[in-house]
Amino acid sequence: MGLREYVIRRSIYMFLLIVAVVCFNFFLFRLPTFVFGVSPVDLMISDELKRNLTRDALQQLYERFGLVPDPDIFDWIYMFWRYIVNMFTGNFGISFVSQKPVMDEIMARLPNTLLLMGTSSIVSIILGIWTGVKVAADPGSRKDVSAVTVALFIYALPIFWLGMMLLMIFAFYIPAATNDIISFPLSGTIDYQVWVEAKNDPLGTLIIAGNIMHHLVLPMIALGVGGYGGYFLYMRNNLIDVMTEDYILTARAKGLDENQVLYKHGLKNAMLPMVTIIAMTFGFLINGATLTETVFNWYGLGRYIFDSLVILDYPVVQAIFMIIAITAILANFIADLLYGVLDPRIKYG
Amino acid sequence: MSKEAKTDWKDSNWYIGITSLWGEFSKHKIGVLGIVILLLYTGMAITAPALATHDPSPTNKVAPSFLAPSWMSVFDPTGVITQQIIPDPSWDEDPQVTVEGPQQSQFSYDHGDSGSSVGESHLNLTWNYLAGEGLNFTKDPEGQLPDCESFIYATQSFNWTYNSLPSDVNISLSFATTLTGDFQGREEGGLMFRVYMWLIDSSGNWRRIYQSNPPYSQDVISRRVDLNYFDIAAGWGGMIERDGSQEDPDDILTIAVGIAPTARFEYFLGSEPWRDYNGSVTVTITNLEMVPYGDYYGILGTTDKGADAWSQLVYGSRISLTIGILATALSTIVGVVVGMTAGYFGGKTDEILMRIVDFLLVIPGLPLMMVLAAFLGQAQETIIVVIAVLGWTGTSRLIRSQVMAEKNKAYVESARAIGASDTYIIYRHILPNVTPILFADITLGVVGAILSESGLAFLGLTDPNQPSWGRMLADAQSSGGFSAGAWWVVVFPGMMITILSLAFTFVGHTLDQVLNPRLRER
Repeated sequence: MGLREYVIRRSIYMFLLIVAVVCFNFFLFRLPTFVFGVSPVDLMISDELKRNLTRDALQQLYERFGLVPDPDIFDWIYMFWRYIVNMFTGNFGISFVSQKPVMDEIMARLPNTLLLMGTSSIVSIILGIWTGVKVAADPGSRKDVSAVTVALFIYALPIFWLGMMLLMIFAFYIPAATNDIISFPLSGTIDYQVWVEAKNDPLGTLIIAGNIMHHLVLPMIALGVGGYGGYFLYMRNNLIDVMTEDYILTARAKGLDENQVLYKHGLKNAMLPMVTIIAMTFGFLINGATLTETVFNWYGLGRYIFDSLVILDYPVVQAIFMIIAITAILANFIADLLYGVLDPRIKYG
Repeated sequence: MSKEAKTDWKDSNWYIGITSLWGEFSKHKIGVLGIVILLLYTGMAITAPALATHDPSPTNKVAPSFLAPSWMSVFDPTGVITQQIIPDPSWDEDPQVTVEGPQQSQFSYDHGDSGSSVGESHLNLTWNYLAGEGLNFTKDPEGQLPDCESFIYATQSFNWTYNSLPSDVNISLSFATTLTGDFQGREEGGLMFRVYMWLIDSSGNWRRIYQSNPPYSQDVISRRVDLNYFDIAAGWGGMIERDGSQEDPDDILTIAVGIAPTARFEYFLGSEPWRDYNGSVTVTITNLEMVPYGDYYGILGTTDKGADAWSQLVYGSRISLTIGILATALSTIVGVVVGMTAGYFGGKTDEILMRIVDFLLVIPGLPLMMVLAAFLGQAQETIIVVIAVLGWTGTSRLIRSQVMAEKNKAYVESARAIGASDTYIIYRHILPNVTPILFADITLGVVGAILSESGLAFLGLTDPNQPSWGRMLADAQSSGGFSAGAWWVVVFPGMMITILSLAFTFVGHTLDQVLNPRLRER
């Protein structure tokens, strides 16, 4: 089977998966309605408001939010139909809380999340690969055992707690001890004061960027450390595996020095599965990190999912779920293709 | 069945398998360390009621917020450690009882130990009155002493070693009252006497801190007294050194509990009760506790709500272990069944099951858990199911690939040839051969479940009345624990989570090293 056929088959499959996610979301976020009999209308409009509004005004409100009054079974079908149409036309509706289009709300937070997740992923990937290669040259050595132990420790560490510890040390105790000479912000993405002042400043963009970087450091370290363990172990195990292959033996037999064998023959092959893992990571970037963003009060998507969930603002949550699922499916697909392109031994099928 | 019963259990495959596994396992230091830590945690979870010093509910206020752990007072010698300081709170020993005033014969006391009718050690203070006996009254509304010159009281003294005032003092007194004669019979009988508590400092100054009011009960009732600032200053103030000297001669403070007739006994609404009253008042004191609050409290201090942090920490091990193990057990069962079915039967079944797995893998994990936990409720069972729903996909893929490798081997084919059923082959032949792989997967699954649980608890999606480490961290975060300097509410719960999941990680990693044939070759 050729690449063309493979892509077509996968595309159909991807489409079906997206349809499944869309349907699943519809029922998941109407679970309170099905389980507890709470109508989405009740969640949105208080009883008092309902009594005081005219019938027409109520009707308009319902229409606007894609709801129907007193949903019975036929109305459910109607709601489902409207929902499907909206999802596939990219109309994610209006947030119950802010009354703004969900897409605008998401777009406002997306850059922050991508910045935080992107930088921390890059840090942990580079560190993971680098140290992984360093210790894989000599498995079982003292260096290797201690590096593995550290990686296992990181694997067992609750990242949100690491974030709290970093905050406590670098945003509370060290500033207190050094009289604010070394200090990091306790929470947030940017200082409002700085933002207001920078608007009229010719160098405003630089100041804002600097301020955001200052806020970024601690959450980035927390997430970077959190991701590091996985990449390190994966890289190390891969490389150790590769180093037992016959072609490595051949390379050594040719008389190549050990460094050349490790970096030219070993690393190149061990990087192949790493590439797919990295592609997947970037597909999941948009997920954000709910816990870490909550700890650092970061204005990002991860915290937005949780905040919206708590106040049952489900147009927002279902839209984010939808976007995450689509990016994950695409990232999976790209990772598979990439693997095939990079490794000629792989046949599509 | 009868055949199996005859063979020695030591010859069973399981026994041999486990002993040889242990032989390999014990060579790995970190694995053994992991096992030891797990045993310690399990012991902590089992003995939690004995280890905990208080009711572990996060809302059970026992002291002011954010008191530091007691052992931190080594850095602060003048700091007051919060603890119960009455030397004999349950009155087990023969107490010191004093009778004041000219009419000594009317008052008596009696100390009973646990063998008596009350069922616990107690002190009876009795005032026995015959009509017309008379009493001396001096009415001083500002005074600290009772209206009557004659009264009885019992004292306990303690040494106040700190050189600073307590920030607050709580006293609890448990007593029962038995009335006879006119004290019981007449409507106003309860107004003729009072139960008092005083603080007496070493200079001999009295400070009244409690006086009782009717109605009285024959059952033991508890009275809790929260001292105000003036009481504390009067009682403790003289013991604080200023410029090298202090007001009182020494650092001993005495608390007195007694009964005394009131001024109403002399003259009450136009009548004179002392002329015609007959009867007795007996107060049975069973317990007296006094807790002066300082800057330090208990083993691990207090939380934002003033609850005891140590008790919560101890009980938190129960939640983490239960949820971690049960959720993993559930997800492993589902994963094994799905993986077995998909791998063994292949074809359409495999296709459908693996598409479900694919589907679950693209749904964002933690957000889905949050949604389910928020919608389905906060009960412990719900959290277990929610974590398990997302945990089985990895196991099922692992088992599926193993089964696909095993099922074409000769032993399976010969079993099928002699007419073994599919279920028999799966459970009798294939399952035992894939179990080793499963062990490492399970232990690492527990780590995931423990971290998920603490994350959900941190977001406030678990039962708010259950003490758990994640919730302690959530409380610390939301109340600004470390901004208040209370690092102990941040450090210890997180450390407990980390060490527990680290122990599981160590065990899992070691099992992987021992059992995974691919790794064993090296």
